[in-house]
Amino acid sequence: MPEPVARKLRGNAPDIAFGAFLILLAVVALWETRALSIGTAADMGPGYVPRALAWILMGFGLAFAASGLRGKHRSVPRFDLRSFLMVLLSLAVFALLLPKGGLALATFATLACSTFAVSDFRWRESLLFAVILTAFTVLLFVNGLGLPLAVWPRW
Amino acid sequence: MNLVDNLALGFSTALSLQNLLFCFLGVIIGTLVGVLPGISPLNTTAMLLPFTFGLPPASAMIMLAGIFYGAQYGGSTTAILVNVPGETSAVVTCLDGYQMARQGRAGPALAIAAVGSFFAGTVATIVIALLSAPLATLAMKFTAPEYFSLLVMGLIAAVVLAHGSPFKAIAMVLMGVLVGLVGIDVNSGKPRLTFGIPDIADGMDFVPVVVGLFGIGEVIANLGSPQDRSILAGKIKNLMPTWPDLKAAFPAMVRGTCVGTMLGILPGGGAALPPFAAYALEKKVSRHPERFGTGVIEGVASPESANNAGAQTSFIPLLTMGIPTNPLMALMIGALMIQGIQPGPSVIREQPALYWGLVASMWIGNLMLVVINLPLVGMWASLLRVPYRLLFPAIILFCCIGAYASSNSVFSVWLMLGWGALGYFFNKIGVQPAPMVLGFVLGPLLEENFRRAMLLSGGDPLVFVQRPISAALLGVAAILLVVLIFPTIRMKREGALRE
Repeated sequence: MPEPVARKLRGNAPDIAFGAFLILLAVVALWETRALSIGTAADMGPGYVPRALAWILMGFGLAFAASGLRGKHRSVPRFDLRSFLMVLLSLAVFALLLPKGGLALATFATLACSTFAVSDFRWRESLLFAVILTAFTVLLFVNGLGLPLAVWPRW
Repeated sequence: MNLVDNLALGFSTALSLQNLLFCFLGVIIGTLVGVLPGISPLNTTAMLLPFTFGLPPASAMIMLAGIFYGAQYGGSTTAILVNVPGETSAVVTCLDGYQMARQGRAGPALAIAAVGSFFAGTVATIVIALLSAPLATLAMKFTAPEYFSLLVMGLIAAVVLAHGSPFKAIAMVLMGVLVGLVGIDVNSGKPRLTFGIPDIADGMDFVPVVVGLFGIGEVIANLGSPQDRSILAGKIKNLMPTWPDLKAAFPAMVRGTCVGTMLGILPGGGAALPPFAAYALEKKVSRHPERFGTGVIEGVASPESANNAGAQTSFIPLLTMGIPTNPLMALMIGALMIQGIQPGPSVIREQPALYWGLVASMWIGNLMLVVINLPLVGMWASLLRVPYRLLFPAIILFCCIGAYASSNSVFSVWLMLGWGALGYFFNKIGVQPAPMVLGFVLGPLLEENFRRAMLLSGGDPLVFVQRPISAALLGVAAILLVVLIFPTIRMKREGALRE
């Protein structure tokens, strides 16, 4: 989850981002464990260790954010949005298609989708490759390794 | 049982037809992913982990171990031929190995790398066999406070030896421990940090987290920074090193093996550090340090031996105490647990066939690597011509199938998606995810022993320093922390890692 980072000429952006991430994580963890009993040091409840960890992480997060704000300038690293989105989308496609659409369709769609993550793809080469790999996957995982998966769509 | 009996049992296990086959399969797959830059052995092991569930424990471990050291070997092939390290552990091999290849001596460089690895593997196997029984006996004396202190020491050592900011690494370890606590608390039966999602009530699955962080995160990062690969044209001929080559390489192999064996045992040592340390040492003892980097054979022999020795001895803390020294060993723990075996000092006593079979199979696997892979070098080299734009869709696909197969549910694929996004974020801001995985795996163990120790002592934290073994372990951890904070020593560490 990329954090929005202020584009100022001061401050170490990666450090601020990491600090912000840890603070966010700590807040979420503290909120989720709010109902758990803490207990005593001799007889700890389920909330003792997670809440203690969350507070420590909060401390780390604040420290990184503070030192990042005062530190030498380092800009936000270039974020490759196209690759990022297309790779995640191809995972989502797999998860969405597999239960109903079967392995063959999910595999082919995932391969096709991920191809667009780079700009230098070639239509014919990628298509051929996807077909071969789909056949290989079905043969290897269903026929070879015996995964309990439907190959074809069923609706 | 004495050592000879143990090794005999090991070899009889490892030499069964089925285990030989899985060992072979492991080293071949390992070499394959090692040769291809952009697929790490960690990613591969995580992907293949679900498919080992159905195997007997010994076969599963033998195959996974084969992937690990096969990948170290394959990584050096790429380093020598393409000047791109197939694995991080092969970064140093690029320096002199690629120069040798440019001078037309790729054959001897590859052969020395293989022979050095085999030599180191043999020594490391003997060291494992000798050390593991006494260490396991010592570890049997451990109770909750000792275990807690041991885990703390292991995690701190992993931080000290990791790349990048040690404070960020500590934060990542703690985050890992927190993520490791997700699921139902065994003591109270209450769900923790599950956000009411039933799929993570039994804990966050290991495979989607690791494959997401390393596999998917790496793919996105690689796509953003395309590498160009210039493969050396022409056939590799003349594998045989000359007599002067061998004479120069042998002492370097011995030194590299010593360095690698020792660093591998240390938590956090794993496979990345030994080759750097060995190369630095070789430069120090050489009469011609200025020739390093121009294609000297010692510069290939020493780091390659160190690399392989370290890869193998990093199994010692795992097998004797149940403590993983690097993320890959953490995966091995996951594999053992799925097989219903609690890693720790009792494994060596209760599962002698598994334990000694694994040790023996490492030596057999190393032998296979030399015998099979040297003639196949041409084939591996031609694999390098597969462009990344064809490779990465296949990696993504296998990650999906691996994640799905780990739980037979698409929820794991969604989980992997989330961790993949997080992995890319960590990559962009320059934070290493490896310490997080260690914390993640050890988290539940850490909490349980902490709570038990505090329960036994009636809430008195002094219990950790009143017991001698526990105090000694925490003392080592404290020394490591001091080393971490002292800037001069830290600078030396950075220097050694950069060199």
